[in-house]
Amino acid sequence: MMERENGNRFVMPAVVLLSLVTIYPILSVLYLSLQRRLPIFDVSKFTGLDNYRFLLTDDRFWNALRNTVYFAATSVTLELLFGLVIALLLNRSFRLKGVVTALVLIPWAVPTVVSARMWEWMYNTDFGILNYLLGMKINWLGSPFWALNAAVFMDVWKTMPFVVILLLAGLKMIPRQIYQAARIDGAGAWSIFMKITLPLLMPVILVVLIFRTLDALRIFDAVYVLTGGGPANTTETLSIYAYKVLFQTLQFGYGSTLSVVVFLCTGSLSVLYMRLLRAEGSR
Amino acid sequence: MKRAVFYLMIASIVLWSAGPLLWQFATSLKPDAELTRLPPILPLAPTFDHYRALFTDTPLLRIIANSAIVSSCSTAMSLVIGALAAFGLADLNVSAKKLVLIFVLSASMFPPIAIVSPLYLIIRGLGLRDTWWALIVTYTSFSLPLSVWIMTNFFRQIPEELYLAARVDGCSPFQAFIRIMLPLAAPGVVTTAVLVFIFSWNEFLFALTFTATAKSRTIPVAIALFPGLHEVPWGDIAAASIVVTIPLIILVFAFQRLIIEGLTAGAVKG
Amino acid sequence: MRSDKIEKSRTVLGKTIAVLALLTMILAFLCGLGCTSDREQHGASGTTIVFKHGKIAGNPKPFRDLLDRFERENPGITVKDETLPASTDEQHQFYAINLDSKSNDFDVLSLDVIWVPEFARAGWLRDVTRVLAEGEQNAFFPGPVQAVTQDGRLFAVPWYIDAGLLYYRTDLLKKYNRSAPKTWQELVKTAQEITEKEPNLYGFIWQGKQYEGLVCNVLEFIWSDGGGVLENSRPVIDSPPNIEALQFMRDLIVKWHITPSLVLTAIEEPTRHIFGSGRALFMRNWPYAWSVFRSEDSAVRGKVGVAELPSFPGHVSAPALGGWQLGVNRFSLHPEEAEKLIRFLTSLSVQKTLALTVGYKPTRKALYKDPDLLREQPFVGSLYSIFMRARPRPVTPYYMMITQVLQPEFSAAVAGIKTPEAALGSAQRQVEQILGEKL
Repeated sequence: MMERENGNRFVMPAVVLLSLVTIYPILSVLYLSLQRRLPIFDVSKFTGLDNYRFLLTDDRFWNALRNTVYFAATSVTLELLFGLVIALLLNRSFRLKGVVTALVLIPWAVPTVVSARMWEWMYNTDFGILNYLLGMKINWLGSPFWALNAAVFMDVWKTMPFVVILLLAGLKMIPRQIYQAARIDGAGAWSIFMKITLPLLMPVILVVLIFRTLDALRIFDAVYVLTGGGPANTTETLSIYAYKVLFQTLQFGYGSTLSVVVFLCTGSLSVLYMRLLRAEGSR
Repeated sequence: MKRAVFYLMIASIVLWSAGPLLWQFATSLKPDAELTRLPPILPLAPTFDHYRALFTDTPLLRIIANSAIVSSCSTAMSLVIGALAAFGLADLNVSAKKLVLIFVLSASMFPPIAIVSPLYLIIRGLGLRDTWWALIVTYTSFSLPLSVWIMTNFFRQIPEELYLAARVDGCSPFQAFIRIMLPLAAPGVVTTAVLVFIFSWNEFLFALTFTATAKSRTIPVAIALFPGLHEVPWGDIAAASIVVTIPLIILVFAFQRLIIEGLTAGAVKG
Repeated sequence: MRSDKIEKSRTVLGKTIAVLALLTMILAFLCGLGCTSDREQHGASGTTIVFKHGKIAGNPKPFRDLLDRFERENPGITVKDETLPASTDEQHQFYAINLDSKSNDFDVLSLDVIWVPEFARAGWLRDVTRVLAEGEQNAFFPGPVQAVTQDGRLFAVPWYIDAGLLYYRTDLLKKYNRSAPKTWQELVKTAQEITEKEPNLYGFIWQGKQYEGLVCNVLEFIWSDGGGVLENSRPVIDSPPNIEALQFMRDLIVKWHITPSLVLTAIEEPTRHIFGSGRALFMRNWPYAWSVFRSEDSAVRGKVGVAELPSFPGHVSAPALGGWQLGVNRFSLHPEEAEKLIRFLTSLSVQKTLALTVGYKPTRKALYKDPDLLREQPFVGSLYSIFMRARPRPVTPYYMMITQVLQPEFSAAVAGIKTPEAALGSAQRQVEQILGEKL
């Protein structure tokens, strides 16, 4: 059995680049989160965990947290389910498969600045195409109930191709022989899926879950353009709240605290996923 | 019967994905007066005015060139650095493997709005404001988490025997990487390339903050410059979205053949 | 079999490399394009100042011509013109990031009327009182001057002005023998009568999405009922006139049904579209919409009138003040040149040119009697009294924090999520906390 080589030098470029680019910003945010920093009033004071203590009593924070968790949970679940189905369908060979695969990627390829405005236009109560096709006059973006779900729907549309393309690539890695052998043994489609496909896809599903969840928890642009966080903060996510605190009210300390909370959420979820799916292990 | 259902599902998926863009296309052909009239869905008096406006009112060619350069360089660098790291993490001994993976992932754990300000200070400090390099370095770094994680994943799926066989044959780890691992993980590598390219092409916040003029401005920022204070030129924006999305689709179409062709070697087709 | 696979994948890889090589060659070619510097040579010596501003409406050429004229009149100064997206949020973000780090990348900036107190207090704006001559401040509308003044000093010069207006359909009012309403109650009555008889017509549309525009809309009702936000720097948000005004807005939607619930998602453009396609009787909006309604293919061409906003009985109309001001970056390396540019851009002749070419409404009162301007845009004359009345939102460095409290509370009230009492009570408490914080 051959000894494994040391691979540190292969990993070095990535680690060095990331350290140079991200360490200062990350430390800066962490440090600011412990400060009271109001440049308008020339306030710059170290206050330790005061911001965090305030956060616990901040209703607007809890509201944003609830919205964000709902958004992420719903969005990622739907994307994963539909994405899996679509990837399985695209895995078969059929005519025009290349064209279809490229078309399926369209939502991911459209820039967010465009797609959010596009959806805002489609959701318009008066001349939006959605209400036109449904023959109804639903106030999609103005109703507390519909607004957040409308944002979820838009996000699912936009990011499903990401899931599809990754799962498709993952499916491609499964050797055909395994399927052939299983079919020879008489296994049915469902059984093949549950016992062969799914387990072998788990590592890719993990990557998809991690990145989709990270992105969903940090969602900002798309929802901000769509609803601005309204009506009455019912679609305000953590990032939107952090943005308003940072760049509208110019409270750099508390805004950083909110950002650190997002980081804690994403970080802990990533670790959780890794533990649960146990796909991270050394060979 | 089964085939009919299958094709029906494929058709609805295509409609779902491409429908809104088709709607954008129809919008881009409508003259301003027709933009908010519904019905009709299709323009009564189609016009190319919006497309014309795009290329005369903004230096769109230069901006597309900026985006192309920034995205290609970022993708290339991200692939190279990411693939090397992934190979090390998947097949070799790396100190504190889990820690490295989490550290690499941490760049994607913060909301970009929190990071943009300190990062901007670095960029300005290095005199890189309004240059391609500011964006290339940023995009390469922030796409590394995705790059490293996806490719680590795909490298791991390649059976160990192949790597060992190559080593026995006398290849150095790097040679085995180039000759064996990379080709076999092609679906993952190409997928990563596509995703990183699209990320760089469409990224907005950093592009907005780090660029100042058409010298380095990228497409999303140019589109954000279309609206006036109140006026939103829907026709122009629709035209722009078609112009900037179609190249991506064509690019993806060209590349995804490489994914599909993946590992069907030796197997019976169909 | 394995080697087959590897061979096949090698071909795949080979193709990938070929495509990447092609891309690299294209890149190298494009790099050739990019390596040309776009720094124009305007004489070896002399200063370059940078004017950073949100996108100018319409054709950019007239504005560049003006800057060229400035350069001719001031040899040795070159003006570099850098555009930011029109979105006020993005501009505010840009300025905050840059000014907080004391950047001198730009010299002159364009400010929304609500940012001046904040930026001035932060020490980011240069005192520009001397840009205007002795007494020249009176040549400007009082509202904007109040908004840019702090402790008696001027921190920006008003550039162009905006205020909320009431748009109405002249043909429909004439048909039913009504005139433009002076009170809100009159507006409701007229709208109810006419919409009952006309199909497919909304009575009154305004901007109700949760954003800064909502605060403008609500304040126009509140102020015209004698209410307000701050009095002697103390919050008076939870007051009877405020509650009445906010309730009235909600009633427009649910009690008298003259306002559709879609206003809760609407900002300026969607309402402009609805009115512009003939489907609304009254609309509250900024002056910009007027020229759109007058264009060739407008469905309401010749059928639109403009009046000052109504008020509650016993009070006066209170249009919200908008508009933009020009300031000098306190960290600028060329403050004198920057001041010269500001003096130029806010001068009588330049404001007149901007009004004629771009439609920016001047902040200098004299232009509203200018015969050339009135001939080209007769509508401008009627705006004079409205702009005289235009009220700035609370002029305090705390305004941005205050509006972040007001926006969701106002939104909750008009959307019916909270009662006006609850919303205003909550807003009062939060603003008290903000203002009471020991710094």
